[in-house]
Order: sequence, then C-alpha cells, then structure tokens
Amino acid sequence: MAVWKVVVLLDLALALGVGGGYLWWGRQVERLGRELVEARAAAAGPREYRAEGVVRAVLPEVGVIVITHEEISGYMPAMTMGFRAVSPKLYEAVQVGDAVRFSLGGTPPNLAITTIEKLGR
Amino acid sequence: MTELGLLARFVHLSASILIVGSAALVLLAGRSDRPTALAWESRVVALTRALIWLALGAGLAVLAHQTAILESSVVAALEPRALARVALETRFGHVWLVRQGLLLLLGVFVSLRLDVRRAVDWRAARGETAILGALALAALGAAGHSAAVEPSAAAAIAADVGHLLAAGVWAGALPALVLLLRAASREAGADARPYAVLTARRFSRAALILMTALLATGILITAVQVGSVGALLGTRYGRLLVLKLALVLAALAAAALGRRRLLPALGGEATTVGRPAMRRLAGSVAVEAACVLAILGVVTALGVSPPARHEQPDWPLSFRLAVGALGDTPDAWPFVLVGSQIAVLGVVVALCSPALRAARWPLLAGGGVLMLAGLVMALPPFATDAYPTTYQRPAVPYQAASVAAGAALYARDCAACHGPVGAGDGPAARAFSPAPPDLRAHHAALHTAGDLYWWITHGRRAMPAFGHLEPEQRWSLVNYLRALGAADAARRLGAVVEPERPRLVAPDFAFAVGPTPPRALRDYRGARVVLVVLYTLPGSRQRLAELAARYDLLVPLGVEVIAVPTDASPDAIKRLGREPRIFFPVVTDGAAEIVTTYSLFAAGPHAEFLVDRQGYLRALEAAPQGTERLLQNVQALNEEKVVVAPPAEHVH
Repeated sequence: MAVWKVVVLLDLALALGVGGGYLWWGRQVERLGRELVEARAAAAGPREYRAEGVVRAVLPEVGVIVITHEEISGYMPAMTMGFRAVSPKLYEAVQVGDAVRFSLGGTPPNLAITTIEKLGR
Repeated sequence: MTELGLLARFVHLSASILIVGSAALVLLAGRSDRPTALAWESRVVALTRALIWLALGAGLAVLAHQTAILESSVVAALEPRALARVALETRFGHVWLVRQGLLLLLGVFVSLRLDVRRAVDWRAARGETAILGALALAALGAAGHSAAVEPSAAAAIAADVGHLLAAGVWAGALPALVLLLRAASREAGADARPYAVLTARRFSRAALILMTALLATGILITAVQVGSVGALLGTRYGRLLVLKLALVLAALAAAALGRRRLLPALGGEATTVGRPAMRRLAGSVAVEAACVLAILGVVTALGVSPPARHEQPDWPLSFRLAVGALGDTPDAWPFVLVGSQIAVLGVVVALCSPALRAARWPLLAGGGVLMLAGLVMALPPFATDAYPTTYQRPAVPYQAASVAAGAALYARDCAACHGPVGAGDGPAARAFSPAPPDLRAHHAALHTAGDLYWWITHGRRAMPAFGHLEPEQRWSLVNYLRALGAADAARRLGAVVEPERPRLVAPDFAFAVGPTPPRALRDYRGARVVLVVLYTLPGSRQRLAELAARYDLLVPLGVEVIAVPTDASPDAIKRLGREPRIFFPVVTDGAAEIVTTYSLFAAGPHAEFLVDRQGYLRALEAAPQGTERLLQNVQALNEEKVVVAPPAEHVH
C-alpha cells in the first residue's frame, strides 16, 4: 500500500477515535444528568427538614413566622423567609429575636413548621 | 530522587522538542536525491526513532516522579496501583496518557520501513511525523502551570501551546541543522552543499517568525505567571525566568551573528560555497543549540517551581523605581526632562544607524552611550528605598477583623507618637525632630504594604522596632494604616454616587445573624449592591423603619441592607422589637469589628455606606433623610458599566 494511503488511514482513525471518544463522553454526561433528574423526582413525597435561625417577625394574623435561617440542605439556601406553622400554638411559642431550631414537614413545596424551639443563649 | 526526576523531565522535554524540530527541518529542507542529503535525512529519521523511545522511557520516569510527589512517598513511584491512580485520576495523568499514546503511535509509524521514493509518499510520511510529534508536544501545555490559571485557563493554555510549538520547531531543529551543515562541510559532502545552504536560508527566515511568536507568547505567559517586577526579581520562578531570558539573548546573539555575518558569505552560486564558511556556520548553530539545551534545563526547573504569582517575593535590591517618588523631590524635574530627552535622542540615533552604512558602528555605539547617559540622569529621582519585604502581600486579608485588631495594637504601641489617627501629633511627638510623618497622607500611597511591614518590624530613624509582635499583628497594623489612609480619602466621598469612579475599597467583614453560619461582605460581590448601616438606638429607629418599609423595593433593585448595631449587642434583633418589621440582616455577631473599622470612614451614631457590586465604597452619609437619594444612587450603580476589576483581597 502506498505510504500516503497509510497516513490518511492513520489520521482518519485518530480523528474517528478522538471524535468517538468525545461523543461517548458527552453521552455519559447526558445519561448522568438524566439519572440525577429521575433521582430527584423519585424523592418527592412527604419530607422533613431541620434548620436553625432567628425569628424576625411573628404574624399570626396572616399565619406566618418570618425566620432568617441557615441553608436547609436539599431544600433552599440561607435566606429570610416566612413559613406557615401547622398549629396556632407555635406562634405563641417564640418572639422576635429568638434564636430557634425548627422542623419543616409536608410535601414540597407545601411545607410548614411542625416544631420550633428556642436555642439556649 | 528529585535530581533523577528533574533529569527525566529534562530528557522528556528535550526529546519531545527535538522530535518536532527534526521533522520540521526535514520538511523545510525538502526532498533531495543527492547521496549526502539522503544520508543526512535517514540519519535524522533514525535519530528521531531513538528520540521517540527515549521520550517514552523518560515519560515513564516522569510519571513515577509525579506519583512520588503526589503521594509524598518515594516508594509510591514503584507501586503499580499508585501509578495507575495518578495516570487515570489526575489531569496530569490524562494528559500523560494522551501524550504517551501519541508518542507510541509515532514510534510505530517511524519504525515501519516505509518506501518514500514517490514525492507524495515522502510528504505524507514526513508530514505525519511532524504532526504527531507536534500534537504530543502541544498536549504538554494542557498539564502545565497554565492549566491552573484562573479565570482564563483556555487563553493561558493557548499561549503555552503556541510557545511550545514555536520552541519545538526552532530549538528542536538546531541539532539536525548542525548535522546537515557538518555533513556538507566535509570534502565528500560537496554534493549536498547547495541543499544545505538553501535549508539554512529557509530556516533562518522561519526562525525570525518563530522568534517573534516565542517572544510574544513568552511575554504573555510571564504576565500571567509572574505579573510584577517584584515577583520577577524576588522569587525563584522569576529569577529562573531572568536566567532563561539571558540564555535566550545569548542564543539570539549567536543566531544574529550567523544570519548577518556567515549566511551572506554563503551567498552567490550555492555550488561555489567554500568549506570554511560552512564549518563556521555549523559552529555558530552548534553554539545556539548549546544555549537551547541550557534553556531547556531552566524550563525544566520552571516547570516544577511554583509560579511567581503564588510566591511571596523577596526583593533583592535596596531600591526600586516608582513614579510616585518624584513627588518628594520636585527639584529633580529638570534632570528627568533633560535625561529622558537625551535617552530618546540616543534611541533615535541607534535606530538611524543602519541607514548610514559607513558610520554604522560608531553611530550605534554613540546612540547606546547617549541612551545610558540619559537614563543615568533621569532615573535616580524615581528611585525610592526598598526592602526585602517591599513586594510581599500581607499575610492577613484587608478585613474588618484585622483592621480592628490593628487599631487596638496601634492605640497601645503607636498612638503616643503618631497621634490617635496617624496625623503625627501624639503627646510624645514633640520630642522628635523631624516630627513623625502623617501616616494618612500620600505618604502611605507611595510606600507599599511591605515597606510599612519592614519599618514596623525593624524600626526606622527614631522609631523603635516592633519585631516582637507576631507577623499577623504587624500585618494587621499595616491593614489599619491602609484603612486610615482610605478613611482620609473617604472625606472626598459624598452622599451621591459619582458614576464610574470607584476608588475606595470597602474593607471586607464577616458577620452572622443569629445562629446562622457567618457570611462575608465579599459574598455579595457581583450580585448585590450593599448598604451597610451603622445604627444606634433609639436615634436610628425611625431611619431603620424607613429602610424596612422600602425593603420590598430595594430587594428587586438588587440591594441588600446590612444593619450593624454600634453597641455590638448579640441581642440586637430582640432590642429592635416587633415594630418596625425588619427583614434585612441585622448583625448579632461580628458587629464590634465592623463598627471599629467603618467608624474610621464616618464617625457618628448613625452612618450609611453604599458598596457597589465590585466591592468599592461609593457613597456615605451620616444623617440620611428619606430613601429618594438611596434609590437614585442604586439606579446609578445599576446603570453603570464595570470599569475596574474587583479589588484584591490584600492591600498593596
């Protein structure tokens, strides 16, 4: 076989190998991404989260306790946000400025505070 | 072990470069049917074959060395599992696999006894050798220091790859060129002399282009990896680079001599070229090749040295040149003006010298002397004292915690002489002549943070040394002095944002709200404009209510408000009570340091500081009324283009 044909075949094989490898890699990434989405969807259903924070406002008239909280891992980053409470009694348990530990229960996105307790400080 | 590893890297790099250069030179020279030329070509091919196996073997040793470094154990270099882990799981390993694979392919290809008598086959075979070799060499760029450059690694890698390839074609071709010139300068090699002369001329032309590319990419890489004069002269990496540059200049001198003096002697009818001229040219190229070998040694050392930008520079000279130094010696202006003009004249004379053939050398020398004389006259006023620590970065970032720590130290150890805020008017200052300098003024801007650190450590004139303080404490004092200077400059800062004029860095700070994990002012960079509010109850209550009422408008405008109680109470939120309903962060932890630092900028029971998205302080106000102005300021910041990069973590 002529040398130039060998060279062309070699380069072709190299290009195909690199291109094929790149495509294979891309499909792996795609597959992993799909699996992640599926895994997340499978996680739906009643959940429970725990976090610490500080009470910024208690508004029983609109059914909300506003809390500046740390990151609730798997649910939301650290922020100041209002939460509903499952029982009216919970509104009386805390005051503005209290450092608290609280639990959120329910099926996302319908979560409400199930327990809230003051941190000793 | 280290020496062996370095040797392996040196051999591997040199072989990789020689493979590319030899193949490129053969391509450049073209096909010939002269026996001597053919013999040279097959010799180069045989050499290439040997180099490939050498590169592969040295490559194995390099992997072993890298494994020993990564596992920090010499034994790991011989453990198959450790080697496999490095090869399969690190970026270095992936690039190594690709390169070894390409080299192996190339080795097999070159070992095939190919019949290249037809022109198209010859071109294909030699071209393929060059391409595979170049690919293997270029891949080196993806595993070097450039791959770790943030944020534009791609550009740095591209520069590195360009540098490698240009170096490969130029430097790698030199030994093959020496071989050809030597062969042609023998009595028996007369048949190949025209071929050798032609090749030398072609290479000389190509070398000019390659040199330009090397210089351009080299400057780019230096700018990225070194970045400053201090780092160039003050770090191992930088000094190695200077050494490399000196060797490059030596190689260039040999090349220039060869090009200007020897090549024209080979001119005219190529068949009549004499042996002595040829041998001299071979000698000059051999000198160049020796320089290149030394350069590759330095490059090997560079590859395993941490880049200068990561190192603390240790300034070797007792002075440095700074434009700001001129402000201290106004009398020097005439010298600077006259000297610089003389230097420019010298450059012009030197540039014109080639035009006047007869007086070329005297003119060139005269121009050089004029330039030197001008520089000697103009530069001294720019010189200012420098110390080993002059270019060092503070070990402690410019943060409120450090500034506050520095403030406490300053009050204890410095205020007696330097005065409560650095004006040089402390109670003990009257005993000194000259009086202690005003630490807030331009004085501070002229001197680097490292200068201040040196003076604190070793004392200066009448000032005693404070080397007994911990290094962190001394750097905190430097940070405090920088904050004092910034506070002085902040007096020019008004309540209204001046568009596109960020100048003052807002000292970073860490804070926590209740039991949530601490955050930093830095975290808002690129995302939010931050209004830092120092407040005192009950005076600030109404203002806080005003801000709280507009918070629902401020948030969508991209503003965060951080309220800092001046009494630094952990119960700050509780004390604010149920009304007004405040939902922005109120600092319960870290407030004391923030108050100490920001009070330098604006004292008073209440003060508001507007920090833009880059982290610069843009407006400050002690007694704000209403939120109109705040909204206008935010609007101005939201509309402005980014004109400067975010400030560094450290003062300079």
